[in-house]
Amino acid sequence: MNRRRFLTLGAGSVAGAVLGACDSFGPRNARSLLEFAERKNEQLERWIFRSGSRDRVAAGARLSGRSFPRYFVSDTMPVWNAAERGTWRLEVGGAVRNPLSLTLDDLMRLRSVTQKVDHFCVEGWTARAEWTGVRVSELARLAGATSDAQYVDFQSFDSDYHESWDIDSALHPQTLVAYGMDRHMLGPGHGAPARVHSPVKLGYKNTKYLTRVLFLPSSSGGYWSDRGYEWYGGV
Amino acid sequence: MTVGAEPPLGSPNVATSDSGGAMDREERTPATGRRPRHHWVVRVTHWVNVVALGLMVASGLRIFNAYPAFARKGETFCCYPFAGTPIPAELTFGGWLAGARNWHFAAMWLLFANGLVYLAFIYLHGEWRDLTPRRGDARDSWEMVKFYLFVRRNHPHQGKHNALQKSAYFTMTVLGVLAVLTGLAIWKPVQLAPLTSLFGGYVWARYWHFVVMLGLVLLSVVHVIMVFAVDPYSLRSMITGGYNPAKSPEARNARPFYWHRAAPAATGHAGESEP
Repeated sequence: MNRRRFLTLGAGSVAGAVLGACDSFGPRNARSLLEFAERKNEQLERWIFRSGSRDRVAAGARLSGRSFPRYFVSDTMPVWNAAERGTWRLEVGGAVRNPLSLTLDDLMRLRSVTQKVDHFCVEGWTARAEWTGVRVSELARLAGATSDAQYVDFQSFDSDYHESWDIDSALHPQTLVAYGMDRHMLGPGHGAPARVHSPVKLGYKNTKYLTRVLFLPSSSGGYWSDRGYEWYGGV
Repeated sequence: MTVGAEPPLGSPNVATSDSGGAMDREERTPATGRRPRHHWVVRVTHWVNVVALGLMVASGLRIFNAYPAFARKGETFCCYPFAGTPIPAELTFGGWLAGARNWHFAAMWLLFANGLVYLAFIYLHGEWRDLTPRRGDARDSWEMVKFYLFVRRNHPHQGKHNALQKSAYFTMTVLGVLAVLTGLAIWKPVQLAPLTSLFGGYVWARYWHFVVMLGLVLLSVVHVIMVFAVDPYSLRSMITGGYNPAKSPEARNARPFYWHRAAPAATGHAGESEP
């Protein structure tokens, strides 16, 4: 085989491999490499993260309103059935000195903030709404989160949906447990009675239909994080 | 490194020193044996770039297909007429959104590191002089266009690259840098908010990222077509480095698809390509 033939065949097989790879998941043995890249990216993202960072939306900016997509993983829209499950409560526990169990009224009596921010979906779209709720940092303060609390798991009653966060992102001032949207009570399409909302994480990290805020010493993965999406999902 | 071999900066006649340097190189190749047309660093980064850019474009298109539009929810977007139409799956890579994102955020380091090595090399090695725009490039490009359109008879005199090539390669480098910057802007629109607002906010930064990709794809396609249509011998120069200056487009007076050396009376268009 002369050099020209070698190069022609070589180029041909590379082109064939490239065309064969189209619309595919890529070679299976690249998986460890991709996971390595994700770990390194997470380190970089944690290093870039600043709790002083803010998503700023102009005061007069238009809101998405009814165009704000609704989304849940259960077959039907999850609605809290008080007759079956009793009064909805938000449990705040884990690595805390003073676990909390808050009814919606309790939650609404806490110091609240209202903020107009972006919602960044992993799919690439954004939407804007005005959220009212309690900062997760406020809940951490009231519950007395200990130094063991390096992660927070946000759990829901939408099947087994949950997502865990790094503590820094959870304590970011724009990370809320929201119960109001666009000056109304949160609707069942958007995670009623309360949900996580923050512009510092992609949409799928923002657990809806919230039931529990669990401070943890280690990460507990998440619904989409365990199904291939990045665990960190920072914005 | 070999800075001493290059003409001094700010030499009085830039154009002469440029083409003189290229002539020097070309004339030395057959006689003193094998000074490659492209340094091995350039050749390696070129082909790594083919892989990296291919992965980035194909996985990026799969990510785009998760929301093949640009408008923020509840708003409209002025400047994308194909909103809602996904890219054909055959042009994408990654299988699904998460898979494509994992590839995109891994391959971006290949693209970034490779681009950094390339830029550092052409800066330190002086090769950037063959690629950066100069006064007179617009005029020279126009002469090339006239030549390609058979308005001008003879191939304009050139350095390592003709003026059109030079503009294309320089533009691709700029687009590569912009692809990285707009990519960062939509990866971290909150943490790198100043960068994102520089591109007009998240929605526009995502649009510019897409437009820059289109530009890179377009120039790459034209580049590959022109390699085969004008200077197929340059393919060897990007693999082994070897290049016969007697077969350069300028020496052959070659136009796109008219690249056979004009043998007297042997081809129908001999009269057109004879100098």
